[in-house]
Amino acid sequence: MSYLRTAAAAAACTFLAGSAFAEPKTNLLHQWATGSDAQAIAKLGEMFQAKGGTWQQTSIAGHTANTLAKLRADVIAGNAPPAVQLKGPEIAEWNETGMTADLDELAAAEGWEKVVAPELLPVMKPTGKWVAAPMNIHRINWIWASPKVMEAAGVTEIPKTWADFNAACDKIVATGKICLSHSTADWTDSTVFEVVVYGQDLDLYKKAFVEGDIEAMRSDGMVKAFEQFRTMTTKYMDPGMNGRDWDSMSHLVGRGEAAFHIMGDWTLGLLTAGGFKQGTDYVCGQAPTDWGKPGFILNSDSVVFFQQKDPDYQEGQKLLASTILSPEFQTIFNQTKGSIPARLDVDLSNGFNPCQQIAQKDLQASIDGGTLVRSMAHNMTVPQKLRGAMMDTITEFVATPGMSAQDAANAMADAAEAQL
Amino acid sequence: MSTHDLTIPIAAPARPWRERLGTLIPILVLAPSLAASFVYVFVFAAWTLYLSVSTSSLLPSYGFAGLDNYMSLWANRRWNIAYTNLFFFSGFYILGSMAVGLLLAILIDQRVRGEAVWRTIFLYPLAVSFIVTGTVWSWLYNPADGIQALVRGLGWSSFNFALTSDRNLAIYAIIITGVWQSSGFAMALFLAGLRSVDPDLIKAAQIDGASTFRTYRRVILPTIAPIFLAVAVIQIQFAIKTFDLVAALTRGGPGVSTTFPAIYVYDLMFQRGQIGEGAAAAVMMLAALAVVLVPYSLWVVWRRRRESGHG
Amino acid sequence: MADTAIALPFDAEAAAASRRHFWSRFAIYGLLALFAVIYLVPLLVVVLNSFREQEEIARNGLISLPQSFRLNAWSDAWGTYCIAGTCEGMKRNFLNSLWMTIPATILSTLLGAINGYVLSKWRFRGSEVLFTCMLLGVFMPGQIALMPWAFVLGKLGLTNSTYGLILVHVIQGISFTTLFCRNYYVGIPDDLIKAARIDGAGFWRIFRKIILPLSPPILIVTVIWQFTGIWNEYLFGVVFTSGQQQPITAALVALTASGTTARSYDVMSAAVLIGALPPLLIYLFGGKYFVRGLTQGAIK
Repeated sequence: MSYLRTAAAAAACTFLAGSAFAEPKTNLLHQWATGSDAQAIAKLGEMFQAKGGTWQQTSIAGHTANTLAKLRADVIAGNAPPAVQLKGPEIAEWNETGMTADLDELAAAEGWEKVVAPELLPVMKPTGKWVAAPMNIHRINWIWASPKVMEAAGVTEIPKTWADFNAACDKIVATGKICLSHSTADWTDSTVFEVVVYGQDLDLYKKAFVEGDIEAMRSDGMVKAFEQFRTMTTKYMDPGMNGRDWDSMSHLVGRGEAAFHIMGDWTLGLLTAGGFKQGTDYVCGQAPTDWGKPGFILNSDSVVFFQQKDPDYQEGQKLLASTILSPEFQTIFNQTKGSIPARLDVDLSNGFNPCQQIAQKDLQASIDGGTLVRSMAHNMTVPQKLRGAMMDTITEFVATPGMSAQDAANAMADAAEAQL
Repeated sequence: MSTHDLTIPIAAPARPWRERLGTLIPILVLAPSLAASFVYVFVFAAWTLYLSVSTSSLLPSYGFAGLDNYMSLWANRRWNIAYTNLFFFSGFYILGSMAVGLLLAILIDQRVRGEAVWRTIFLYPLAVSFIVTGTVWSWLYNPADGIQALVRGLGWSSFNFALTSDRNLAIYAIIITGVWQSSGFAMALFLAGLRSVDPDLIKAAQIDGASTFRTYRRVILPTIAPIFLAVAVIQIQFAIKTFDLVAALTRGGPGVSTTFPAIYVYDLMFQRGQIGEGAAAAVMMLAALAVVLVPYSLWVVWRRRRESGHG
Repeated sequence: MADTAIALPFDAEAAAASRRHFWSRFAIYGLLALFAVIYLVPLLVVVLNSFREQEEIARNGLISLPQSFRLNAWSDAWGTYCIAGTCEGMKRNFLNSLWMTIPATILSTLLGAINGYVLSKWRFRGSEVLFTCMLLGVFMPGQIALMPWAFVLGKLGLTNSTYGLILVHVIQGISFTTLFCRNYYVGIPDDLIKAARIDGAGFWRIFRKIILPLSPPILIVTVIWQFTGIWNEYLFGVVFTSGQQQPITAALVALTASGTTARSYDVMSAAVLIGALPPLLIYLFGGKYFVRGLTQGAIK
């Protein structure tokens, strides 16, 4: 009896002692409000809670501007959120305000430096200190293809170069099918365009889209890319690209109404949700490149942490960051979302789709081959104002059939220059 | 009218404190609302004005940048499109909703049966948020599922109603939807005006043998002229603030063809982290409002003076 | 008219007049009906779609007569649909909106009535100028006020709460309500007030006994205006609240924004209707008074 009582007292003591320390809690501000995105983030919440944290989230749907407006309002009001989904150059911009939390200690203890993809390091630690935790790596330069449509047109394999692509499209259009399924919006237009630029000229991509070099935007290479893009928008995309929803575009490929679709790996989730089978309804491949090596345009979602006064939130930030970078989370999250882990040491042989396995292989190959780049269209390179100016021009080009490639290149350079 | 005003004697000595308090009460009662409105209108606007000449980017900061933000703003093609769109849209939107509203008001004024039913039908869009309106109309404009598909399905295969996807026509989609939403309000105001016209005037005109059309043109409409102005001013401020409707209907596209100043301000201030230039754009919006409001306020004051002169 | 028609069955002039009358009535009702169809189609499409099955909508397009009837979309949208990471439908957001809209409407209407009373019946030097200044609030674009409000709410410790939103809506609404009430009260004869003052009635007593009993027409206009405006407001709702505090407009946008899943038009239609229902009901029952109140002087 007395033994029991002692044990109970001891348990009570431990409990009390435990509660005297900070109880980790967090509130993640993000924009993954619906569908598989929301499911993926729900997994993060479950794992956070399983590790003893109190989980809250604020998800803002629709335009990214809404999330950023909320973040700005919170910061101005003097209560910055403990954790925010932010990416690319925004991490550096917010880091400059001096309000972001420093994760170096945790990063050193858990050895992030060695396992996270090297291209992500300058993004996650803009001034040498870790301020953000990467959740995944998206590949942008995918081409999704319908084997049925290709076969019917006598196209035997996914085009390797842009010349191949044009030849294949000519055949496909002749059979009465759509060659490239597309819906116009600034970011979808820019996605396809950056894939074109990347595939034609790697250096040009790096100069214009990663470094924001104005002369590169005006160069002949850019004019050539716009010319290829014009061929695609007028000949290979169908007029229905206006007014369609981007999320149903991949279904055109799945249903065998269109041959190709150029879009990032989240397409996988859409195709799966649409009930389409890999191999029979669709196949995936690297978007055309003219330089014959594995290439990878990278996009990464990450969470940034802002300094907090409440020790509970501080504790929660450490727990959340550690959870995000754990191999278990990286596995579960990316299986749901279609992307691949930001850690290179996660084994994808189980539970991942073959396309994801290819992505991981190509990622490694492009790191070795020096062809890995970050995505401009998905906000991983230049500041928003520069990106916005470039995207305005690209989508303007798609919407204006009379705009020449030369004019477009000049307009892009001018618009970007006005932002400097 | 001022002759009827209750002038409050302020400096009357030797009055009981109760009465003196009595003269203060109105001012005391008004003070909190006044203070709040003052902060809301003037301090907020002044802050925006200040930001527009500051070096603010991601967060407000207070370094002085002169007119740089304005230069960069007017050098931007998208802003120029937005400003042009505003004038184009405002013109058609206001004329459209006034024309439809007036027509409906006159029709309803013909002693029709079931007036309440008609009125409710035309008024209900006003109850619905722009978000809902924009969402539903974007379905209707959708070429694959909406009106175009319906009419083509009925056999008219060349029918074209894909407004939102054509860069030159998208703005008309916004105008049509805007008119649909707000003409009921114009109707209510016009109807209120028509009902307030002195019946004797109308009778006199009819006795003179004027046709209905003539009666309206010569007698009724001139007497409700101030209502036209009131409707126009209310619609203009809706037009300048247009945000939700465009955001839900076209998101400023295709391309940048339907960008509006309010969308531009929001994008710059919140999405692109260019608070300084966004504030400059906001100041230009306020300037556009002032162009409309200042003459109108002067006119209202002048009219009041004249009326009270007669009174 | 009928008598003459019987007495003179062959009067050509009367027959022509009645024919003209018939055609003009025909034209009036025809035009009204045409416009009514245009006005009702969007509503009808949404109502019908909320009862159709998603597969049917996908097959036959958004505009088509229903071939199925079910209420699932409504119960999904209300109670179980997953929005923003929680699968509780819109009921919480609906209640949030009610808790925000009702107090804000009442407060701003009351303040507007009192302000209007002062500005019309207790004028003092400069009161007209002050009135004009207050009026400018009507024209303030929301995007401009967003950041200053964030700052103010932060200082007051009212971020992420319904109270903060109520404060914002009350202050932004004062301009409108004051404008409406002042213009209406100007029409109340000053002699009434004078007589009451001679009888010894004070500021508040006159307000209670004379002004308020005469106010219902304008108060109804004000309440309708404020309720609709606050209920439908999106930008402030989404920026100044988070998670479970968000109003219904935020949930609606979350629901209609195409995420990475296919859109379910049936649930979206039901959600749109749920979100629009309270203001719609208010217009349905108050529309008559709205026009009447406007007639009696809200516009001047």
